[in-house]
Amino acid sequence: MTLLTVEQLTKTFGGTCAVDGIGFTIHEGRCVALLGPNGAGKTTTIRMLTGLLAPTSGRIAFRGFAPGADHRSVIGFLPQIPALYGWMTGQEFLIYAGRLCGLSAKEAQIRCSGLLERVGIASAAKRRIAGYSGGMKQRLGLAQALIHRPKLLILDEPVSALDPIGRREVMELLRELKQETTILFSTHVLHDAEELCDDVLIMRAGRIAVGGAVSEIRNEHRQPILTLEIEQDEQSRNWLRGWLQAPPAYVQSTSANGGGARLVVTDVHAARRSLMGELLESDVRFTKLEIGHTTLEDLFMKVVTAS
Amino acid sequence: MTQWMVLYRKEWLELIRSSKLIWMPVVFILLGAMQPIMTYMMPDIIANAGNMPEGTIIEIPTPHASEVLAQTLQQFGTLGLLIIALISMGTVSGERMSGTSAMILVKPVAYTSFVTAKWAAIVTITAISFVLGYGAGWYYTAALFDTVAWQDAAGSLLLFGLWLSFIGTLTILFSSLLRSAAAAAFTALGTAALLSIATSLLPKALAWSPGKLAGLASAQLTSGTASGMWPVIGITFVCIIAALAISVWSLRKYPSIEAV
Ligand SMILES: Nc1ncnc2c1ncn2[C@@H]1O[C@H](COP(=O)(O)OP(=O)(O)OP(=O)(O)O)[C@@H](O)[C@H]1O
Ligand SMILES: [Mg+2]
Repeated sequence: MTLLTVEQLTKTFGGTCAVDGIGFTIHEGRCVALLGPNGAGKTTTIRMLTGLLAPTSGRIAFRGFAPGADHRSVIGFLPQIPALYGWMTGQEFLIYAGRLCGLSAKEAQIRCSGLLERVGIASAAKRRIAGYSGGMKQRLGLAQALIHRPKLLILDEPVSALDPIGRREVMELLRELKQETTILFSTHVLHDAEELCDDVLIMRAGRIAVGGAVSEIRNEHRQPILTLEIEQDEQSRNWLRGWLQAPPAYVQSTSANGGGARLVVTDVHAARRSLMGELLESDVRFTKLEIGHTTLEDLFMKVVTAS
Repeated sequence: MTQWMVLYRKEWLELIRSSKLIWMPVVFILLGAMQPIMTYMMPDIIANAGNMPEGTIIEIPTPHASEVLAQTLQQFGTLGLLIIALISMGTVSGERMSGTSAMILVKPVAYTSFVTAKWAAIVTITAISFVLGYGAGWYYTAALFDTVAWQDAAGSLLLFGLWLSFIGTLTILFSSLLRSAAAAAFTALGTAALLSIATSLLPKALAWSPGKLAGLASAQLTSGTASGMWPVIGITFVCIIAALAISVWSLRKYPSIEAV
């Protein structure tokens, strides 16, 4: 069931077009990653979805709300850099957030202790936020976004400020939350998206370059790939250099790869037969010849570096 | 209404945690008590200055109690205004700059409540400080000079309190229109000064200006009546409501700084 539909959403700042007529839908219960390099327009898109930024043009329609209506009651938001009142304790802030969302004092109290436990800062609940570490603030930020059980949880780069352990823990938490609510989160790390998400929207320069279910995208853009590695002796290296300068027709693109090369090929059978023949004939001391497929990483790199 | 109370209570807690609720009333009490005490001791101070030729007789007429209290009001009209501007200058811009306004306003919080809760907190702390400070002034005036009728003191308290609240409101307005807190304080104080000067220069044209409030409060003390106060009070209330409405509009348009 569709939860959110975005059509022709555009935002220009002065002359620069930060978001350029994007459109997508988010279905209930899905976990969606908004992926893109720095400056792609992820934060701008998210700010428009949360109502913090008025779109230059376009439409944001939430299920159950008239287009453009105030749908703040059903979203929970964690900004890229969460700003919290340093003079409050973690518990006070969480209860404050809950009460602003319309929870009764008792409900807010119950939700608060549950969430503090869940995000792992229960022991710091009664300490001033000013004394929290970055990771603790991030967790409290996540807790305050969840306090009113939002239908859509929007997170702007939830893990990029965390150390590897913190990152692991927040990702685990998101994996649990996935079962309970719809999630949209932005990241510039493909790995995070692949690990967790059902859908991805890859943005570049204000547009959605590729979007859809991860599995579909993977299949759709899948290409066979040959990975070749050789020993670092003079003769083998010379052969590879020469061969790469004029690769055969079945090679679509090549990239150097440590002691060898990655070849995106069109016809995997022809490639396998022909390359094996050449390797034997020239007596190349190869250490590895692997046949596989392009990953999302390859697609992501292709999309974001395309000019 | 519950949500408004939650917002108001948060502002209140912040005033307590930042000690503003302690130092602002203390400063106001000092301001209020200082004027009558200084006036009372002035002849002694001058006599002890020591550089008078021998035999000089100093004659300073003892001022009337209501004049002393009116001078006290003038203290609140300068230093008091400055303190109110300092207290309220970051009300909106501070939250915008730090990003907390973005955290709060993505929740289903009414923009009007967000602004008016802050405004109510500023008005409350101003009222507490001013009542205590003016009370101290009244007490020392009564102890050292003469008692001023409580009706006149109360009337001038209300009139002057409205003037102070008006300045607080102006500061909140500029705090939501400008990025810099210092600029907001400066603009609000500048506006207050301009209003007072313009009102005294053009008494006819600006007969209903809020800039008259301070003068009316003094008149209430010294002559027992503040003629023509109702239109001024009415206009001041209208100005306060308009200023709050503009603040709300500005916040709705730019809930956070990145959006400006
Ligand atoms: N308030 C603003 N005024 C002018 N330009 C802006 C503003 N906000 C964003 N931009 C521009 O819009 C573009 C997209 O910015 P945005 O913050 O959405 O990128 P992002 O994908 O979130 O990047 P990052 O990964 O660095 O967070 C950038 O080129 C940025 O310079
Ligand atoms: Mg961003």
